[in-house]
Amino acid sequence: MEISKFTNWFKEYGWRHLVGLMFVTFAIYPILFVLTNSFADFANLTNSKLIPNSLTLKHYKLLSGDPLVPYFQWLYNTYKVAFLAALFNVFLGTLAAFAFSRLQFRGRRAGLLTLVIVQMFPSFLAFVAIYLLFFQISDVAPFMGLGTHFGLILVYLGGSIGFNSWLIKGFMDTISPSLDEAAKVDGASEYQIFSKIIAPLSRPILVVIFVITFIGIYSDFILAAIFLKDKNLWTVAVGINTVFVDDFNADWGVIAASSVIAATPIAVLFIFFQKQITGGLTAGSVKG
Amino acid sequence: MKTSTIFRYILLAVFNAGVFYAIPLSIAFEAWFLLSLIILNAFLVNIVYLTDRFKPMKWILPGMIFMISFVVFPAIYNTYVSFTNWSTGHILNKTQAIKVLEDRTFTPEDQKDILFDLYVLQDQNLQFYFFADLDENNMFFGKAVTDEDIITASFATHEPSLKKNGELSIPDGFYLLSGKEQIANADALQDLSLVIDSKTRAKLFKISVFGASTGSLSSTSQLYTYDSTNDALINNSTNTICPAVDDNFECNGKEIDPGWRIYVGSENYENLFSNQRIRGPLNIVTKWTFQFAILTVIFSFFVGLLLSMILNKDNLKFQRIYRSLFILPYAIPAFVSVLVWKGLLNPDYGVINNWFAPIYEILEIEPIKWLKTKESARAAVLLVNTWLGFPYMFLITTGALQSIPKELIEAAKVDGASGIQSFWRITFPLLMVSISPLLIGSFAFNFNNFTLIFLLSGGGPPVIGSEVAVGWTDILISFTYKLAISGGRGNMFGLASTVTIVVFGIVLLISALSFRYTKRLERIYGNI
Repeated sequence: MEISKFTNWFKEYGWRHLVGLMFVTFAIYPILFVLTNSFADFANLTNSKLIPNSLTLKHYKLLSGDPLVPYFQWLYNTYKVAFLAALFNVFLGTLAAFAFSRLQFRGRRAGLLTLVIVQMFPSFLAFVAIYLLFFQISDVAPFMGLGTHFGLILVYLGGSIGFNSWLIKGFMDTISPSLDEAAKVDGASEYQIFSKIIAPLSRPILVVIFVITFIGIYSDFILAAIFLKDKNLWTVAVGINTVFVDDFNADWGVIAASSVIAATPIAVLFIFFQKQITGGLTAGSVKG
Repeated sequence: MKTSTIFRYILLAVFNAGVFYAIPLSIAFEAWFLLSLIILNAFLVNIVYLTDRFKPMKWILPGMIFMISFVVFPAIYNTYVSFTNWSTGHILNKTQAIKVLEDRTFTPEDQKDILFDLYVLQDQNLQFYFFADLDENNMFFGKAVTDEDIITASFATHEPSLKKNGELSIPDGFYLLSGKEQIANADALQDLSLVIDSKTRAKLFKISVFGASTGSLSSTSQLYTYDSTNDALINNSTNTICPAVDDNFECNGKEIDPGWRIYVGSENYENLFSNQRIRGPLNIVTKWTFQFAILTVIFSFFVGLLLSMILNKDNLKFQRIYRSLFILPYAIPAFVSVLVWKGLLNPDYGVINNWFAPIYEILEIEPIKWLKTKESARAAVLLVNTWLGFPYMFLITTGALQSIPKELIEAAKVDGASGIQSFWRITFPLLMVSISPLLIGSFAFNFNNFTLIFLLSGGGPPVIGSEVAVGWTDILISFTYKLAISGGRGNMFGLASTVTIVVFGIVLLISALSFRYTKRLERIYGNI
């Protein structure tokens, strides 16, 4: 009786758990491995284990003490660039979205369509031209040329502002127009309608767009790698690559620690906003 | 006037000041493309914010400027570059190249073998001075300067009075360095020269511990002079005429570096398709790019769909836990997880070969050299990308499955359809309606998944015998990157832009197809 109950359970649910567990292992093994190794007291990659014998913080300490590997400088650079670029991105995107959602003008639909079509091509595709263009900018205005954070932020702004304003516009369309009509009757200006009604009510989507853009820029490799030559100006994506290349075996603990620090905040952010991110992407892709 | 208006004019003034600062500089550097970009932006900004004719544009323009400047303009510029020979050795325009060549110097034949006594002195400020004793009519004394200061340095003076009876009489306030002291300062002394006249310099040639050191002449004679009437370079050393041929000056058939940029028409495109040295690698890369993108989508979609089907079951426990664990690979920045996988795959120390060790023993085969051979590198790239991609597929298929009304499946069951039949006839087609645009999106993303390829395998292992830098796992975008930036064979900007134009074309085609394909699907299934 007991056995047949188990077989029934297995036929109905058990095998599902079995396959599920298999893939859970596949999904989280590398993550767990790095996480435990970053705290493990061992010498190198060869004798690393999933479950370490003893724990230590020495790899994290090593990471902050090496002047040749300014890891925390990279981290700071990344947060700075991603924060500023995402902030301006959302700000400028909101302005444009307001016009597309609330103002009537000739070429509105065509403009909107252009925005989406242009952004279907990833901006880094033209990286050769971006590189050469900023080469010229370096001559004319060195403070925003090749190798500067300023220039990199400008490129990131161009890269996603169109798609973002399109997403924000979609949200603004759901805000009832009777609100701004009432305000208009009360004598509110265009700017007041934007700053007092539409922008505050759009806050949920603005937060999501900010987070998505921030994560995207934080994770960008190609543009940062082309742009930044000075070691002290690198972002973590560019810098961490050079740490890894040096010697995998000997530096494994430090490599693991650097991975954990680089990944954790973004992973937490991502999981927190997971519904909106996948929902936003899905909605965007379906419409796009 | 309202404060906002004043504020607007101040901002405009600052912007225009920047424009007026940048325009002459762009002209000076002959950065024509940048110049046209600046003028276009300046025109747009002023017409929108100085007049009231384009009111909605006041909201749109700030964001649009960045899109025009860093997306649309580069795309146009990219097209232009693809019609040029822009590459290492042809980076400059003709005027700049001529200037570089005219700055070159040579030492005339009759000065080459002249050696003479050279004394090194120091004043109270520890500055170095040379006394060069060429002959009784040419005894020069003066401050020794580095190349940077040579233009501003004054000429050395003829001072025969300093030499008395074959001995140097040290002037007041100076100190004569011995040979040993000169050796101690050799690095600094090597860079110094005594400027005799506008063309001739004296340099320290050999330090002697006994007696005076030896000096030699080095000339600043101009090697090349540009003759604009004949568009040729005259080599003053050999007196040959080097005519301009296409993008280089040629002396007796030998090209002089640097050359300059020219418009080459469709040459890059023709090379891409007909030049065997480029077509071979391009074929390999293009084929693999499609295989890579398609297989990635298939694998990750298959795993994601399988899991969502298995776990999408009423009353199944731990569903939420599964879901949150499967998201993890998706949540971690790819540049981190890819590098971690690179560590796991390390053939010598990595965990994966540790696991496989028993299998290797049973089968009596050599451990796999992950990422070092063509097959293992390609397999590894696909494995890691499946790992990166299946969580997304799991999320979207779960969402899509839950949105399919249960009544449909039950109705099919009532009509006698088997589980497999109802899956292929009902669930799967309905799933594809909502999922297929996302699959095409995923394909387009992976088509240009530079981060994965570059960080995991670097495009390697290299294709042996290829004349351009290319590896077996290179996709088009990483191949382009190697051509343009880091192939170790110079910067081939022209050719690289040509390849990106091809990628542009493919992405355009995919997008167009996806529009048509998905619309058709909607029409077929839209009424259910």
